[in-house]
Amino acid sequence: MSWLIGSVFAIVAVTGLLVVLSRDPKRQVFALGANGLALTTLFFVLQAPDVGLSEIVVNTVLTPALFLMTLAAVAMNSVSR
Amino acid sequence: MTARWRLGLFAGAVLILTAAAGVIAAHMPAFGVPASHYGPAVNAIIPAARHATNMVAAVNFDVRGLDTLGEECILVCAATGAVVLLRGARGESISADAGRVPGRAVLRRTDATVILCRIAVSLTLVYGIYMALHGTITPGGGFQGGVVIASGLMLVYLGDGYALWRRMVPSVAMALLEGGGAFLFVAAAAIPLALGGDALANMLPLGQPKDLFSGGLIMLANDCVALSVTGSFGLLLLEFMEETRSPAEDPVPDEEDP
Repeated sequence: MSWLIGSVFAIVAVTGLLVVLSRDPKRQVFALGANGLALTTLFFVLQAPDVGLSEIVVNTVLTPALFLMTLAAVAMNSVSR
Repeated sequence: MTARWRLGLFAGAVLILTAAAGVIAAHMPAFGVPASHYGPAVNAIIPAARHATNMVAAVNFDVRGLDTLGEECILVCAATGAVVLLRGARGESISADAGRVPGRAVLRRTDATVILCRIAVSLTLVYGIYMALHGTITPGGGFQGGVVIASGLMLVYLGDGYALWRRMVPSVAMALLEGGGAFLFVAAAAIPLALGGDALANMLPLGQPKDLFSGGLIMLANDCVALSVTGSFGLLLLEFMEETRSPAEDPVPDEEDP
């Protein structure tokens, strides 16, 4: 295992930990995006670009976007009631 | 259950699971060593048999194409279900006003944001289409291209706001893309079946390796999936965005009272 793969693994572990440790849902969404970016790097380093391309869009754009919209809708609903 | 009991249970579980994980880790194949004969076999057979250079696409859309067809249908069903659930609670109408969370400032977009987003939209869309079309030869393919296009659509909202976004991404067009792509994929599976062959049999000319039009049916299936994925994710984003708007004037008709 080269130093490159090792360091990317470490970044994935750290960003994953940050997702779990952040308590504010909004911060958690952005931590999730960072974790997705780290995972994408890992997939590219491990020579799986197909998976990496899915991962980068789904985990850094679409999932955070859907989460943010849901959080906004929840905030609006809890205010209006 | 008291806190001491819980801690004791936790400690016991950690001890047992750590020991078990250690045993499993010791018996795993070394890192990076191919564990299955499937990969080398695919690499040896497919370039000659299908004239494709992206083995992942060749496996997904030819060798196990029927599985991909099933996955595609699952995606369509999931997206449709989400749309039905959200619209069922909200109605069909499109609201013009942005919902507002009180106490949050609404900042105007700067010109730089608008320009950057407009440039990025065009580049992202072109890249997504490129990726979907070249699925047979380079990494990427229908699903990846489709999600790239759908995320590019989000940039329209980011740069130019909700009204233009709703005009550029009509929900009917997204629904047609979603259903049409899936229908074409099913047709690509059914036509060889109707002609007496196997489902998704690759009967198209295979073309030159590394050429855009190579791999026969693989490229066609890729593009069907790209259309369907674009529609599915576009529709999902649209419905979720509509949830953040302030409720329209005409509420959902109540369910009929008995």
